[in-house]
Amino acid sequence: MSRSLLKTLLALAALVALLGLGACGGDDDEPAGDSGTPAQTEEGGGNITEQLFAGSAADNRANPAEGGKKGGKLTVLSAGDVDYMDPQKTYYTYAIGIINAIHRGLYAYLPGDTTKAVPDLAEGDPDISDDGKTVTVKLKQGVKFSAPVSRDVTSKDVKYGIERAFTANVANGYARVYLGDLVGASAEPGEYEEIPGIETPDDQTIVFKLKKGTGAALAGALAMPISVPVPKEYAQKYDKENPSTYGEGHAVYTGPYMVESDAEGKAVGYVPGKRIHLVRNPDYAPVDDFRPAFLDEIDIQAGNEDTSVATRRILSGESMISGEIEPPASQLKRLLESNKKELSAVPGGGWRMISVDTSRPPFDDIDVRKAVIAGFDRAAARQQRGGEALGPIAQHLIPPGMAGFEESNSEKGWVDEMDWLASEEGDRTKSAEYFKKAGMSSGKYEGSEELLIVGDNAEPDKSISQITEQQLNEMGFKTTLRLVTRDTMFTKFCNVPKSEVNVCPSVGWAQDFADPQTMLDPTFNGNNIIETQNSNWPELDVPALNDKIEKAKLVIEPAERAKAWADVNHDIMAQAPSIPYMWDYQAVVASPNVRGVQNGYSTTWDLNFTSLR
Amino acid sequence: MSTGDPVGLVREADEQAVVVGEGAERQITARSPMQLFWRRLRRDKVAMVALGFIVLLIAMAVLAPVIVSITGTPDPRTQSSEALDVFGTPTGPSSAHPFGVDRLGRDVFSRTVYGARVSLEVALIATGIAVMIGVAIGLVAGFYRGWIDTVLSRLTDVVLAFPILLLGLGLAAACSGANGCFSGLIQPGLPVVIMVIAIINWTYIARIVRGQVLSLREKEFVEAARSLGASDRRIIVREVLPNLFAPLIVYSSLLIPANILLEAALSFLGVGVAGGTPSWGAMINEATSLFPDAWWFMLFPGLALLLTVLAFNLVGDGLQDALDPRRR
Repeated sequence: MSRSLLKTLLALAALVALLGLGACGGDDDEPAGDSGTPAQTEEGGGNITEQLFAGSAADNRANPAEGGKKGGKLTVLSAGDVDYMDPQKTYYTYAIGIINAIHRGLYAYLPGDTTKAVPDLAEGDPDISDDGKTVTVKLKQGVKFSAPVSRDVTSKDVKYGIERAFTANVANGYARVYLGDLVGASAEPGEYEEIPGIETPDDQTIVFKLKKGTGAALAGALAMPISVPVPKEYAQKYDKENPSTYGEGHAVYTGPYMVESDAEGKAVGYVPGKRIHLVRNPDYAPVDDFRPAFLDEIDIQAGNEDTSVATRRILSGESMISGEIEPPASQLKRLLESNKKELSAVPGGGWRMISVDTSRPPFDDIDVRKAVIAGFDRAAARQQRGGEALGPIAQHLIPPGMAGFEESNSEKGWVDEMDWLASEEGDRTKSAEYFKKAGMSSGKYEGSEELLIVGDNAEPDKSISQITEQQLNEMGFKTTLRLVTRDTMFTKFCNVPKSEVNVCPSVGWAQDFADPQTMLDPTFNGNNIIETQNSNWPELDVPALNDKIEKAKLVIEPAERAKAWADVNHDIMAQAPSIPYMWDYQAVVASPNVRGVQNGYSTTWDLNFTSLR
Repeated sequence: MSTGDPVGLVREADEQAVVVGEGAERQITARSPMQLFWRRLRRDKVAMVALGFIVLLIAMAVLAPVIVSITGTPDPRTQSSEALDVFGTPTGPSSAHPFGVDRLGRDVFSRTVYGARVSLEVALIATGIAVMIGVAIGLVAGFYRGWIDTVLSRLTDVVLAFPILLLGLGLAAACSGANGCFSGLIQPGLPVVIMVIAIINWTYIARIVRGQVLSLREKEFVEAARSLGASDRRIIVREVLPNLFAPLIVYSSLLIPANILLEAALSFLGVGVAGGTPSWGAMINEATSLFPDAWWFMLFPGLALLLTVLAFNLVGDGLQDALDPRRR
C-alpha cells in the first residue's frame, strides 16, 4: 500500500472519529428549543431566580427538619479541600459548613434564615450595652467535649478559642477586623497571651469589653467559627507549633459529628486534599440543640474538579451531594427541567462587580464613571454566570437576605435617583450624556491613555474580562487586557494599589456574617486602603463617606443599624464607584434519594439537616 | 557555465525523453525536469484535489472580510449577548449564524474563516524561518565538515532534544504577566508562537541538508568547479544549493501541516494568539468546557484544522512522489 493511501485512510478514520464525537454531543443536547424562558414567568413573588427554583429542594429550607429519616451514609463530592479544619483558622464558607456539623460555636445560622443567627452554645441573644462597649453572653450547661477531653464546655474554653485566634500560629484572618477593639488585644499576631478584655466571671458567662462602641460587629462575628470552644489543656501543646496543628492533626468536638479519630484525638479521618470522614460523636450532648443530625456517616471526597461530570455522577447515583462545586450554568438549564427536586439555590450573600480605579485618571472623574456604568451591558456579564437564573443584576451593594437590603429599596435600589443605573443592557445615549458632562463632546471617551485590565484567566471570568474590554473599547477607551491566574490577579495586581491597574473585572465580595458592615466597610472605606491585600478595589476615599461608615459601625439597635448602613450604601452608590453586575445565587445538587436542605449562610447543603429518603 | 541543474533531476537520463502520442508518427519530445515533475504531479489525483483545497483555503484566508460580508455573518470579534440563551449557553447553527456562536456570542463561522489566517500565517512564516536557518546550518556543517560540523551537529542534537511543548508552556506562564517577560521583550502572542515553532523545527531541515551536502560535495561537478578555481561561496550557492531544492520542497511541504498543528496545540495550551484573535486551536480549547452543550463550537474549527492538515500532508506526499519517482 502506498504511503499516501495509508495516510489518507488514517486521516479519514480521524475524521470519522471526530464526527462521531460531534454527533454524540448533539444527542446530549436535545432540548435546544426554549421551553418556558424565565422572562415569561414574571408574575408571582420573589425575583426571577427564586421563581425558577420554586418547587426545587430550595423549598426544604422552610421546614428543614420535617420528614427526615434517621441513619445512612452520605457522600459529598467536592473539587478541592477545605482551607483549614481548625475552627479558628478557617475563613471559607464551605469549610464553615463542615465545622458547623462537628463544633458548636456561640451562634449559628439555621438553613432558612440568614438575617439573624440563633443561639447555639449560647443560651440567648448577646446582651450589648447601650454604649456598645460591653457584650455579655450566657452559655448553655452540659455541652460536652469529645474524648479524650470528655468534660463540660465552659466559658473559659470559648475565651481560649478566641485568644488563640489572635496568635501568629493560628493567624485568623478576621479576628482583628471584628474583635480588634477588645481591651488588651494585640495589634499584630504574636505569641499566645491572655486578652484582659475577655472576662469569664463564671463557667456559664463570658463578657467582652471593648475600647470603642463596636459591640454590634463583635456580636455578629460570634456566629463565625472563631467562637468555637477549644480546651486549653488539650490544645496548647498543638498551638505551640507553627502553624498550629489543632484541628488538622488533633482535635476534640462538641457537635453531633466528629472527624473519625483515635483515642488520643488524632484526626485519622482527615486526609488533606483528599478526604474528610465524619462519624457520629459518641460524647455528643444534644443539650437544647437545633441539629436533628439524621445521618450516621458523612464521607467528603475531594478531587472532583470537573463539575459537569460530578453533577452527572450525583444525579445518576445514590446518597450523594455536591460539596463546594456548582453545576455549570450551561447544565443548569436542563436540570431545571428534568431534575428540579434534586436542585437548590440560595442567594450567595454577596455581589460581583467590575471594579475601576477611582484614584487615578480617567476614572477619578465621577462623570466618566457614570458614563461607563450607564453604557455597560451588565446583563451580558451576568449571562456568563448563568444569567437571570443565577441571580438579579446588582443595583446596590447590600445583597438580598441581609439587614439593610429592604431599607435600600430591595432589588430596585436608587434607580430613580441614579439614572446611570437604569439600563441593565447598557444605554449608550445616557452614557454619551455623561461623557459630554465630563467635557467629551463626541459622547465617547477622548483620552488617549491605555487602560490596563487584569482579569482571572478561568471561565467564566475570562469571558467577562473580554466583554469588559469590548464594552470599554466601544465607549472609546484604549485597553490592554491581561488574563492571569486568580491568585496572581489578586496578589500582584488587584489587591495592590501600587500596581496601577485601571480595571479589575473579576472581583466580588461575600458576607462574613449577616451584617451590612461586612459588605461595605472592607470594600469602600477609604481608611481601609492598604498596600497589599487591599479589598477596597475602587480605592474609593471620600472623607465624608468614611466618617459615615465609622459612625454606622457604632449603631447597636438592629433596625437603626440596618437604616444607617442602607444610608451608607446609598452614598457609596452615589459615588458610582464601580460596575456591580450581579447578586449571585449558589446552586447545589443532590442524588434523588437525598432530602437536601441548603443552608443560606454557608450556601452548601446543611449536613445537620440533610437526610436520606 | 554551471553544471548543477535547477531541480536536481539531471542524472535521470532515462526520463529525459518521453514518448508522446501514439500511432504512426511517433514523436519524441524533450521535456524539462520541471515539466516532468508537473506531469507526474498532475497524474496524482489525490494530491491535485488537496492542492485545490489549499488554494481555496489561501483564497479564503486572504478574502476573509469579503466572505464574511457576503454571508452576512458578523465580524469575528463582535460579541452578541442576544445570540446566547437566557442561561448564557451559546445557540447552535441557525440562518443568522450558520456554524452557531461561541460563549461570548461571537459567530463561529466568521471565526473559523478568519482562523485560517492565523494558521497559514504561522505555518508559512515559521516554516520559512525554519528552512532558512536549517539550510544555512546544514550547508555550512556538511560543506566544511571537521570541527564546524561537530559543533553545529551537536547544537542541532541539543535543540532536537528540547521539549517544545514545555518550552511553550513555560513561556506562557512566565510571560503572561502585565508586562511580558525579559522587560517586555517577549509578549504572549503570535510572534512568540512563530518564534517557538521556528526555533525547534530548523533542526530537521539542517540534518537533511547536511546529509545531502556531504554526498554532493564529493560529486564530479563540484570537483570540476573547484579545479576551475571557483570559490567556496560560489560552489555552495551555484553548485550545491540548487541540488537541494527537491528535498527542501518535500520536507517544507510536510513541515507546514506539522506547524499548523503545533500552532493549534500552543494556542490550545494558552500560549498562542492573544485575546479575541480567532485561532482554531484556541477555539477548540474554549470549546472543551462547553462541549456537551455546544458541540458546534468544537466541531467546525476542528474540521477546518483536520482538513487543512490533511490537504497539506497529501500535497507533500504528492510532491515527494513526483520529484523522486524511485521512492514510489
